[in-house]
Amino acid sequence: MTSRAVPPSPAFSLRLRLLAWLLGAVVLGALVQAALAYRTALAEADEIFDYHMQQTALALRAGLPATLARPPLVSEAQAENFEFVVQIWSSDGVRIFESAERAALPQRAVLGFSEVVAHGSRYRVYSLATRTQVVQVAQDLRVRHQMARTLALRTVLPTLLMAPLLALVVGWVVSRSLAPVARVSAQLARRAGDDLDTVDESQLPDEVRPLVHELNGLFGRVRAVLQAQQHFVADAAHELRSPLAALKLQAEVLRRARDDAAQERALERLDAGIDRATRLIEQLMVLARQQAQAARGEPAQTLDLATLAHEALAEAAPALSAAGLTAAYDGPADGARIHGHAEALRIALRNLLDNAAKYTPRGGQVVLRLQREPLGGSGGSQATGAAAWLLSVEDSGPGIDEAQRERVLDRFYRVPGTEAPGSGLGLSIVAAIAELHAARLTLGRSEALGGLAVRVRLVAV
Amino acid sequence: MRLLLVEDDPMIGEAVLELLRGERYAVDWVRDGDMADTALRSTAYDLVLLDLGLPRRDGLDVLRALRARRDRTPVLIATARDAVAQRVQGLDAGADDYVLKPYALDELLARIRALLRRAAGRAEPVYEHQGVSIDTVTREVRVHGQPVVLSAREWAVLEALLARPGRVLSRAQLEDKLYAWKDGISSNAVEVYIHGLRKKLGNELIQNVRGVGYLVPPA
Repeated sequence: MTSRAVPPSPAFSLRLRLLAWLLGAVVLGALVQAALAYRTALAEADEIFDYHMQQTALALRAGLPATLARPPLVSEAQAENFEFVVQIWSSDGVRIFESAERAALPQRAVLGFSEVVAHGSRYRVYSLATRTQVVQVAQDLRVRHQMARTLALRTVLPTLLMAPLLALVVGWVVSRSLAPVARVSAQLARRAGDDLDTVDESQLPDEVRPLVHELNGLFGRVRAVLQAQQHFVADAAHELRSPLAALKLQAEVLRRARDDAAQERALERLDAGIDRATRLIEQLMVLARQQAQAARGEPAQTLDLATLAHEALAEAAPALSAAGLTAAYDGPADGARIHGHAEALRIALRNLLDNAAKYTPRGGQVVLRLQREPLGGSGGSQATGAAAWLLSVEDSGPGIDEAQRERVLDRFYRVPGTEAPGSGLGLSIVAAIAELHAARLTLGRSEALGGLAVRVRLVAV
Repeated sequence: MRLLLVEDDPMIGEAVLELLRGERYAVDWVRDGDMADTALRSTAYDLVLLDLGLPRRDGLDVLRALRARRDRTPVLIATARDAVAQRVQGLDAGADDYVLKPYALDELLARIRALLRRAAGRAEPVYEHQGVSIDTVTREVRVHGQPVVLSAREWAVLEALLARPGRVLSRAQLEDKLYAWKDGISSNAVEVYIHGLRKKLGNELIQNVRGVGYLVPPA
């Protein structure tokens, strides 16, 4: 997609490979076929000439009368043109007929086919014996071979003419068949870096469509990730603007303060504003880091969830008691083993306990509960088959309306009318961490305390 | 001048409230769309400073409802929604101006003054009438060139009356401009301020229409 133009190695060009092999096969096939046709044609020509000689001899089988006057002899010059020579011998060895004077062949007792040398040429001779005579038909082999070659070449010629035509057809078919691939790659090459639209899958051959389909799937996933990223950046920019606006205005208030009391009040607010902006940025960083970690796919370690829960509760205890809340842990002392990321889970627990501290009225209760769920889970529709640890943070606060429960997981969403300061990121971070652990996160009502219950279900080791 | 501040962020709200009061505006602050709508239906404001991302009801919705009632109260949107399309949408919904957070306070105050001038049918920042001139930016008052010092409330009454000479403002209307909800109103407060103004500016400027209210007669 970028301008990095790596020239494709010819060894990997499907088109060139196909063309090379197919054209090679065409040429080789044509040659082999031509050779075979040539040889066959030669052999056939031989057979045909033999057959003709045999037929000629048979036609003369009736014989000639012994009294026949010698026929007028053909002149030597004319005799050159004759390829066949016929001689007839009487049974007593007298040549009673010869078709050409100078072509006289020696009498041979061999009947059937044979080859003789006479007058410096090789002859093929067929001798047939009748009751009274011997008929000999001979052919000059040089002439015979020449004619046979001419015949054979004629049969080979179409093959040799067809081969280039076939090669052209092969080239055309290969190019045409690969045209959709070229079209897709041209489409992709023309794209800008951020163009992640799907590639047209219609009119693609079966072999290429799965590849393009997968590519489109990948485009879709990348698009989703990019969109999420863009939304996050836009949200973050928007959310950062409010605390900055507050800071700027508070600085203005400070500048205009006329007396010490007003100045003191303005300074306090400015301080609180800076704390709020800092907290928001911290939360944004945590969320970004969690999402990046999920994307990197770092390996999980074996952890003890009970230890983590203890630590988290101990860490949150000062804030909880400052908010006038009593906190308790309900679960095993140790041995709640899971695969996970310790730091991420600590952050999730801290966020959940922070929320409980923030939204539970004074005098209330917060319970961090850790329970082992039996095989298959409790009422889990998809039976995972593995036992799980259910980690829940429950409080006696106002809880969250059922209609709001889905939305509070959205980034920056805050329940309308919420007074306590917050970034709207806490539960989004918990959700991201739950996703990192493939854990199920549910928001519900605490049966024991009446407030919110946030439950995270992690598969046990 | 009475302003309605619609802002859900407590930190921003507190600061703007304090700053606007420092500028001697009577300001009411509401934190969600429903409250804003109720306030706008029950009280005549001179200007609304409106945030858009509000709980319960979006600011644009509140604005559209206001304009649907043919209420011409100037509305200045102050929001973090910065996309051009969002600004266009806000102005097309009936807002008179649009500023982005974080804004410079001086600019916000200048825009508020400009909108208040326009609403009074004026473009000039100094109102002059029968030898009395008031500068809406510096808040200086002069009678025939001589500077006069007014209290904040006296200034507010005078500005309201001088903005549109010839228009009668009832006592209730003047009270509306002077006090936010939280301020207690004494029964004859307006009369006290009118009396003070007459003493400083002369008896002829502000006249009483018995049983109706007060006005500055047109030239």
